Amino acid sequence: MLLAGCQGPQSALDPAGPAAQAAAWLWWGMFAWFGLVLLLVVFLWLLALRRAPRHYTPEQARRLGRRWIIAGGVLLPGFSILVLLAFGIPLGLRMLPLPLDGPPPLRIEVTGHQWWWAVRYPETGVVTANQLILPVGRPVDVEVASADVIHAFWVPRLGGKLDMLPGRRATLRLQADRAGRYRGQCAEFCGAQHAHMALAVEALETPAFEAWQAARRTASPIAPEHAAAVEAFRPYCGECHRVAGVSDGRRAPDLSDVGARPSLGAGTLAREEGAMRRWLREHQRLKPHNGMPRHDHLPEASLDAIAAWLETLAP
Amino acid sequence: MSETRAQSPERLHQDFHAVWGNPTGWRALSIVNHTSIGLRFMLTGTVFFLIGGLLAMLIRAQLARPELPLIDHQTYNQLFTLHGSVMMFLFAVPMVEGLAVYLIPKMLGARDLVFPRLSAFGYWCYLFGGTILVSSLALGLAPNGGWFMYTPLSSAAHSPGVNADFWLIGITFVEISSVAGGVELAVSILRSRAPGMSLDRMPLFAWYMLVTSLMIVFGFPPLILGSILLELERAAGFAFFDVARGGDPLLWQHLFWLFGHPEVYIIFLPAAGIVSTLLPVFARRPLVGYRWLVLAVIGTGFLSFGLWVHHMFTVGIPLLGQAFFSAASMLVAVPTGIQVFAWLATLWTGRPLFNVPMLWLVGFLVIFVAGGLTGVMLALVPFDWQVHDSHFVVAHMHYVLVGGMLFPLIAGLYYWLPHFSGRLPSERLGRWGFWLTFVGFNATFLVMHWTGLLGMPRRVYTYPAGLGWALPNLISSVGSFVMAMGVAMVLLDIGLHFRFGRRAGDNPWQADTLEWATALPPAAYNFVSLPACTSRHPLWENPALGQSIAEGRHGLPTIDHGRRETWGSDPLSGQVREIIHLPGNSWLPLYAALVLTVVCLSLLNGAYALAGVAALATLGILLRWSWVNGAHPLAAPDARTRPGDPPLHSRTFDGPGLWGMGTTLLANGVLFFSLIFAWFYLWTVAPNWQPPARSPLPGLALLLDGLLLGAIVLGFRWLVRRLRRGNHRRLEGALWMLAALGLLQAAGLSWVLAATPLAPTASAHDALIAVTLGYLLLHCALAPLFTALQAWRVRLGLVGERAPYEPAVVLQWWDYCLLTFWASYFALVLFPRGIGA
Amino acid sequence: MRPGHPLQLALGLIVWSLWLVAVYAGLSLGCLLARPGDGLPATWLNGLLGLFTLLTAAWLFGCAWWLWRAPPPALAARRFVVRVGAAVHLLAALATLFVGLPILTLPPCL
Repeated sequence: MLLAGCQGPQSALDPAGPAAQAAAWLWWGMFAWFGLVLLLVVFLWLLALRRAPRHYTPEQARRLGRRWIIAGGVLLPGFSILVLLAFGIPLGLRMLPLPLDGPPPLRIEVTGHQWWWAVRYPETGVVTANQLILPVGRPVDVEVASADVIHAFWVPRLGGKLDMLPGRRATLRLQADRAGRYRGQCAEFCGAQHAHMALAVEALETPAFEAWQAARRTASPIAPEHAAAVEAFRPYCGECHRVAGVSDGRRAPDLSDVGARPSLGAGTLAREEGAMRRWLREHQRLKPHNGMPRHDHLPEASLDAIAAWLETLAP
Repeated sequence: MSETRAQSPERLHQDFHAVWGNPTGWRALSIVNHTSIGLRFMLTGTVFFLIGGLLAMLIRAQLARPELPLIDHQTYNQLFTLHGSVMMFLFAVPMVEGLAVYLIPKMLGARDLVFPRLSAFGYWCYLFGGTILVSSLALGLAPNGGWFMYTPLSSAAHSPGVNADFWLIGITFVEISSVAGGVELAVSILRSRAPGMSLDRMPLFAWYMLVTSLMIVFGFPPLILGSILLELERAAGFAFFDVARGGDPLLWQHLFWLFGHPEVYIIFLPAAGIVSTLLPVFARRPLVGYRWLVLAVIGTGFLSFGLWVHHMFTVGIPLLGQAFFSAASMLVAVPTGIQVFAWLATLWTGRPLFNVPMLWLVGFLVIFVAGGLTGVMLALVPFDWQVHDSHFVVAHMHYVLVGGMLFPLIAGLYYWLPHFSGRLPSERLGRWGFWLTFVGFNATFLVMHWTGLLGMPRRVYTYPAGLGWALPNLISSVGSFVMAMGVAMVLLDIGLHFRFGRRAGDNPWQADTLEWATALPPAAYNFVSLPACTSRHPLWENPALGQSIAEGRHGLPTIDHGRRETWGSDPLSGQVREIIHLPGNSWLPLYAALVLTVVCLSLLNGAYALAGVAALATLGILLRWSWVNGAHPLAAPDARTRPGDPPLHSRTFDGPGLWGMGTTLLANGVLFFSLIFAWFYLWTVAPNWQPPARSPLPGLALLLDGLLLGAIVLGFRWLVRRLRRGNHRRLEGALWMLAALGLLQAAGLSWVLAATPLAPTASAHDALIAVTLGYLLLHCALAPLFTALQAWRVRLGLVGERAPYEPAVVLQWWDYCLLTFWASYFALVLFPRGIGA
Repeated sequence: MRPGHPLQLALGLIVWSLWLVAVYAGLSLGCLLARPGDGLPATWLNGLLGLFTLLTAAWLFGCAWWLWRAPPPALAARRFVVRVGAAVHLLAALATLFVGLPILTLPPCL
């Protein structure tokens, strides 16, 4: 029951990597110890209120008070925080990008935008958006930055969070111990759609990860039936969106593999039948204030064609 | 000093009432008396509390289920921003300051605070500033960037509307009130205690308020500076926080949290002071460990300034740097532990009574200790990285603030109700109110820890189903409505008791502190005669003290001179040093606040010319305020005192104004050093900071100007020293000359400012130089003005050998100008040269 | 300053605050101007900060001891100040050592 209550795609108590594991251990340890302390203090307080009063001379009261204060007010918290500092701070090292003995960690650049994530693998040049694909069992250095306001990168099941500040780069060391899907979300309030800035995270076994990368190194071919959609897309959508081999916009999420992503609008709309069409028509209702203009002036047929083509962008 | 009066007590009271009594009708707006002002603060604070609570209910309603369409994102962002801002700035701080304004003079055995007009001014600034801020909600223009206003989200580029300006201007206006209250309380506690009330006999509440007041004096100025800089960036395009132009958004975070963390303790300490006041009364035993508590209060005050970075653990500061602040944050557990166990020992050795205020104290203990413990957890860096900015922090913070402030506050309100109304509240309704609040609170926030651990971030207006957040959020929402019912019950109880409560006799709780020696409810002057204090528990020592006070058997029992008076005492020993004479009711505080409101509204509307005119008008009113002082015909023209009594403070070199100016300059100095900190901070860490190869400042001209300033200050010092020796020959002429030289110096400084080629909108470097020079110019221009006014007062006979006090106050201002000038010279001129070499 | 001066109620913790600002600023400047290598905690910067911490703590302990041993002043209020002042210095000294502990184990600039 308790364990079931701790599970969830974004639960810090359901860790899947060493950094998150350390934080979860810390939590359970502190919860147990501080829970005891709380019970003790409340028990003593209630006892003091309930027990039959006894007579104390001022001198006795002073001595007793000093004993209480030294034992409970100085030694108890002093001991607790000393232990906490001794155990806790070294655990923080697990999340730091320390030099490794083995092979170097995989580098991934994640840039926060209002309200989506740009993801780039500098070693292969692969670019995607709103999803982060990791290899299992290999340390990953996530290099975070921001294109506008302050965001925070946070995938609770893998580790703690790190702010994404304009003008700065920072690095977070993560590692996924198990293959699976996780969820991340922007943790620093970043404006109107802060609530709709999720990151789909998936850890793949190494061969699958390599295959995932390889598939994205070449542009998808355009089937003849989508040629019209591409022509409609390029001068309009392509201003902001990049699709490998089609357009080179940089202001909005890269769409080169949008057909293979689990959701649209950074976690706003799950990918199901007709989701792409719905998103193109209703995105300002589903995620108001997002940066994409309304497409009301485009012909219905054109929108549908673009949606159908985008669905196929799944390398 | 004490001499039995032949007059009957009734007659005496009538005479006192003639001098001290409050006018009614619309003239009540001119009241400056601390009892009225304190009650106004608390009443207004309650109204803002209800507004803030209403916002919280809306927030909880929206979060009750996943993807509820109840409130849209824009409204939601306004709601949570204002909920935080209203509760922190418009409820918590003014409420505890109001309670202290009401209580402190009574506890210290004084008749009023030492700067009554400042109390009134503080209240009006609070009322008008708060109203400006809250009215933005009605206009649909409320701030929506979070109560922490992080840039660049709050910059003009990302928040183009007037919303953020409402926050910056409204909050700064309210902060004037808080700082004014802080200065006034600190000086009153140090300088106007009952004769013999030495530091070691002071009621603990006064210790708590002394430390709190000084924390306000040191804690608020960084945020005031930050707000000014951010507003300059938004309105005038100056660069301070913009990375591209050499600024840094982290500078805002440092300035904000430099204020923001002490703020939490500014709220908590007075509440802990309430606990330390109530517990011994209900345990019927003096508090165990007085010295320990004083140590804990001082320790908390200082430690709380050393842990602001723990709000910034996720911004990428080196781990070792974080570890310092982590350790410092944990250390707060020690003074807190000392207090908790001192209270426990008091209960243990006492014979405790279990009544409604005590119930709230037990609730306080449970909730606050739990919140303190999660606070220690959060201080641990790796754990904080996980739960920072999640609902876990929301839960922690409400445990600390509601448990640490609201619960003791309600306990205190119940305890002091007989003081406000002369009546006792009902036992039954009070218990219902407590249990509903307690259960509702825990249902709301205990569960919220879990929500946060499940990964739910703060400040999201909605959330999808399937993440496990739906159930805990529903429980929280239901709990919050139960809590709201509890609070409503408490308010109902308090409201009803004014009509139906039993009459309280004298000192209904058999308390030990002097505020219970007044009539219930008290007269404006508190005490007809001012008792000496021979122990920490004056009313336990002498339960009949109230009687003899009312009969005029103690100090300063005459009023035929027509002055409002109280003792001015030694800060350490509490021995009487002089008689402080206090100003009567005045419209000036209201006028000053009204004109300041015009300044704020014009700034909001971009009417800068009007804002300038109104600012000058404010200055004029404040100068008039300072004019009606000392030997002025409307203040204390006749300095005669009774034989054996000490002189009036304005006839000595030792008045509270000297301390008030000193404390104000301390606050001002913190603001100035925050500015210098910004300079060095950006110089070292801003990613795009590009200082020019040669400083644009004319170093030599600035040097000469500084030397002139030094000469003036030396001259002024010499003048005051002469005056101290009783020599006032050619005082007026000397003052005129110093004023003229000061004007010359200020003119030189403005020439420097005009002649320096600065581009404040293009680089943070130039923007900071411009602001620093502007700051210096403002102060250096006011100094000759004050000096000229002194010269004029000498001519009118208001200042001179009989009343030598005011030049000493003005001297502090000159000293301050000199200090800030040379500190700026070092930072702006010498430091860049040293680095450049 | 004679024992019993009211400033002694705050002085120890004022020194502690200044120390905290100094080590934090020293750390930032040290990493900026002459960044020691990553990885090991035992860098020259740790040594410098540690030494400064020890000196500050020693001075604070010394003050606490001096106040504790000072002959009690005649005025009760001054005796109170001496006692509380000694405790404030002691608290400040312990706080300095406690907050300085991480210098022993952590690399400075990471």
